[in-house]
Amino acid sequence: MFEGFSSIILNIDFYAAIVRMSTPLLLGAIGSLMAERAGIVTFSMESMMLMGTVGGIIGSGLMNNAWAGVGLAIIFGVLIGLIYGIWAVSIGSHQIVTSVGLNLGSLGITSILYALTFMKGGEVVEEIIKVPTLPITKIPLLGDIPFIGPVFFNHYPLVYVGYLLVPMVWYILYKTTWGLKVRAVGEHPHAADTVGISVIKVRYQTLILSGAFSGLAGAFLSICMLGSFQENMTAGRGFIAYTAIVFGKWQPIGVALGTLLFGAADALQLRIQAMNENIPYQFLIMLPYVVTMIALISVVGRASWPAASGLPFKREEG
Amino acid sequence: MNKESKIKEIWTAYLDKSFSITVPLAAILLAFLVSGIIMLIWGANPLEAYEALFAGAFGSPNAFATTLERTTPLIFTGLAVTLGYRCGFFNVGAEGQLYMGAIAAIWVGIMLPNLTGWILIPLAALASAFMGVLWISIPAFLKAKRGINEVLTTLLMNYIAIQYFEWEIRVDHFKEGVLDYYGNVPEWGFLNYFIGLKDPTQPYPKTPLLTDNTFMPSLKRLMELPFVENLFGNMVWYQEFVKVPAIGRMTLTPVLGLITAGLLFFLLFRTVTGYKARAVGINPAAAKFMGINVPNTLLTTALISGALGGLAGGMEVLGTQHRVIPNFLVSAGFDGIPVALIGGLHPFGALLSAVFFGALRAGSNRMQVVTTIPVAVVYIIQALAILFAIAGTTIDFQAILKKNRLKRAAAKKAALEAAHAGEGEASRV
Repeated sequence: MFEGFSSIILNIDFYAAIVRMSTPLLLGAIGSLMAERAGIVTFSMESMMLMGTVGGIIGSGLMNNAWAGVGLAIIFGVLIGLIYGIWAVSIGSHQIVTSVGLNLGSLGITSILYALTFMKGGEVVEEIIKVPTLPITKIPLLGDIPFIGPVFFNHYPLVYVGYLLVPMVWYILYKTTWGLKVRAVGEHPHAADTVGISVIKVRYQTLILSGAFSGLAGAFLSICMLGSFQENMTAGRGFIAYTAIVFGKWQPIGVALGTLLFGAADALQLRIQAMNENIPYQFLIMLPYVVTMIALISVVGRASWPAASGLPFKREEG
Repeated sequence: MNKESKIKEIWTAYLDKSFSITVPLAAILLAFLVSGIIMLIWGANPLEAYEALFAGAFGSPNAFATTLERTTPLIFTGLAVTLGYRCGFFNVGAEGQLYMGAIAAIWVGIMLPNLTGWILIPLAALASAFMGVLWISIPAFLKAKRGINEVLTTLLMNYIAIQYFEWEIRVDHFKEGVLDYYGNVPEWGFLNYFIGLKDPTQPYPKTPLLTDNTFMPSLKRLMELPFVENLFGNMVWYQEFVKVPAIGRMTLTPVLGLITAGLLFFLLFRTVTGYKARAVGINPAAAKFMGINVPNTLLTTALISGALGGLAGGMEVLGTQHRVIPNFLVSAGFDGIPVALIGGLHPFGALLSAVFFGALRAGSNRMQVVTTIPVAVVYIIQALAILFAIAGTTIDFQAILKKNRLKRAAAKKAALEAAHAGEGEASRV
C-alpha cells in the first residue's frame, strides 16, 4: 500500500494529472470570481458547465472542428449566464433557489440537445459519439525544462488559458477602474449606485464572463478530456468550484490554490483506482467530495463574503 | 435588517399567510405554453403531445397506478424540502437521504425476513427515517452550531451517499449454502454478514427481492379482506373493480404521503415548534430577539426534514420496487426541490405539485411513443415551471398593481382638477 502510494507521488504524470484535473475547476471558479465579487452567488456554475460540455460536443461534432466546440460552449455558457441574470439581477429572485432550478433544468436540456443533434433518422443513437478533441500542445521552450515542462507546459490549450486567467483576473479586480466598480457593487451597491455606477450593468457584465469561462470549463471536460458526452458529466464540479471560491476567500490566488487542492484529490483517486483493487472504487470517487466537505468545514468562519453577496439590488424609490 | 433576513422576507412574504395556488398554476400553464411553442418550432404538434401526456398519466387504471408510484417519493422529498425551507434550512440533500433510507429499508427486510408485516413494515420505515436523520445530521449540526451554509454541505453529502449506495449493493450478502453466479462457494467475510446487500446469485449489482411480508398493503389486498368481501361481495361494482389488475399496484404509500402532509401542516401551523421554525425561517435575528433558541430549532427542523427524505427511499422500497439497483429512482431527491418550490412551500401545495410531477413522469413515456418527442422534454417543462414560479413569487404583483392604481388615480385626479379648473374659468367668463 505504502509502496504503491509512493510510486504515485514520485511519478511526474501524477503532477501533470493534478494540473489537468484542476483546470475545469480553475476556469469555472476564477471566471466566476468577478461575478462573486459583484455580489452574485454563482451557484449556477454547474449548469453553465453542463451546457458547456454539450455545447463543446455539438460544435465539435457538427463543424468537425474542436475550436467550433469551444466557441459554442462559450455561447451556451453565456446564454445561461444571461438567463440567470434576468432572474438574479433584474427580477431579484433568491439566487441559490434560482441556481438550483437552472441546474435541474440544464440536466434535462443537455440530454435533449445531445439527443436531438445526433439523431439518426428519427432514432437517438445508442453508441457514444466521438468528436474531434483539442490536441495536446507543448509550449516550445518551457516544455523542455525537466519536471516543470511536462507538468505545466505539455497540456491541452485550455489549460494555458487557465494559467493566464489567474493574473488577469487579479489585475482586473485590483488594478482597473472596472474592477473597482465590480468590488464596489459587491460590497455596497447603494453607495456604488449613488456615485453613478450602474449596478445592474456591472452585474450582467460579470455574469457574462462567468458564463463564458464556466462554459469553457465544460468544454474542457467534454472535448479535451473525453471527446464524448455523458449525462450529468460535470458530476458536481460546478459546486466544487464554488467551494474553491469560498475556500480561497474570494482572492484569485487563494481560489487557484483551492482548485489545485480539489484537483489533486481527483487525480489521486484516479491513480489509486487504477493501481489498487483492494479499495472499493466507490470510496475513491467519494474522495474529492469528502475533501471539499472537510475544506468547507475548516475554512468557514475565516471566510469573508462580499457584503452584498446574494442580495438583489433595488434602487429605493422616494 | 441583515441581508439574509432581507432576502427571506422578500421570498417568504406571501407564503406565510396561506397557500396561494395562483402563482404556481400560472407558472405551470406558462411552462406548458412555452414548451408547446418549442415543440411547434421543432415541428411537433403540442396538443397531440399533451393529450398523450395526459392519457399516459390518468387515461387508464394502469396509468393512474404509475402516476401514483411516481408521485409517492416526490411527496416525501417535496415535504422534506418544504419543511427545511420554512425554517431557513435549504435541504438540497434529499437525494442522499433517499438513497440511505432505501438501503436501511432493504437491510431491515433482508435481516428480519420472518417477522410479521405489522411489525416489519413500520420497523423498516423507521429505519429508513433514521438513516435519513443520520445523513442530514452532519450538515444540520454544522449549520446550527457553526453557521456553515447548508446548501453546499447537503449537496456534497448526496454524492457521498450515492457512492456508498453503489458500493453496498455490490458487496455480496451472506446466504447460507448459496453458490455465487459462477457456481463457486463464496468466501464470506464480516462485510457479507452485516453490510453487503447484493444478491450473490446475480451477476449485476442488485439486491435480493424482499419477501412479501415487507410489501406495503395494496388496494387489492384491502378489497380481498374477508370483512370487506362480505360487505360488498355481491355488488356489481365490487366484482368489476377486483378484476382490475392495476389495483394490485395501488398501495398504501401515497395515502401515507397524504397523512404525512397533513401532519406536517399541523406541525408547521398549529404547534409551537412549527411557529418557532417559521419565525426562524423568516428572520433568525428577530426570532432570537423573541427568545427562540435558533440553533435548536434549526437542528430539530433539519433532522425531521432528513427523516422525511429517508422515508422517501423507504416508501419506494416497501411500496413499489422491493429491491434496489443502481439509479433505482432517477433524481427523485433533487426533484423534491422543484416540487416544494412550485408547491409554494406549503405541505398541501407540495402534495399537489408532486402529483403534477409524478404525472409528467408517468405520461412522458406514452408521449414519446405517440409523438416521438423525447421524454426529456418534461425536464424543460419542469425547469420552466420552476423558473416562472420563482419569478412569480419574487415579483410583488400586488405592489405593481397598487402602483398602477395609484398612478391611475393620480391621473384621474389631475384630469378632474383640470376639468374643474376649466369649469371655473368657464363660470368666470
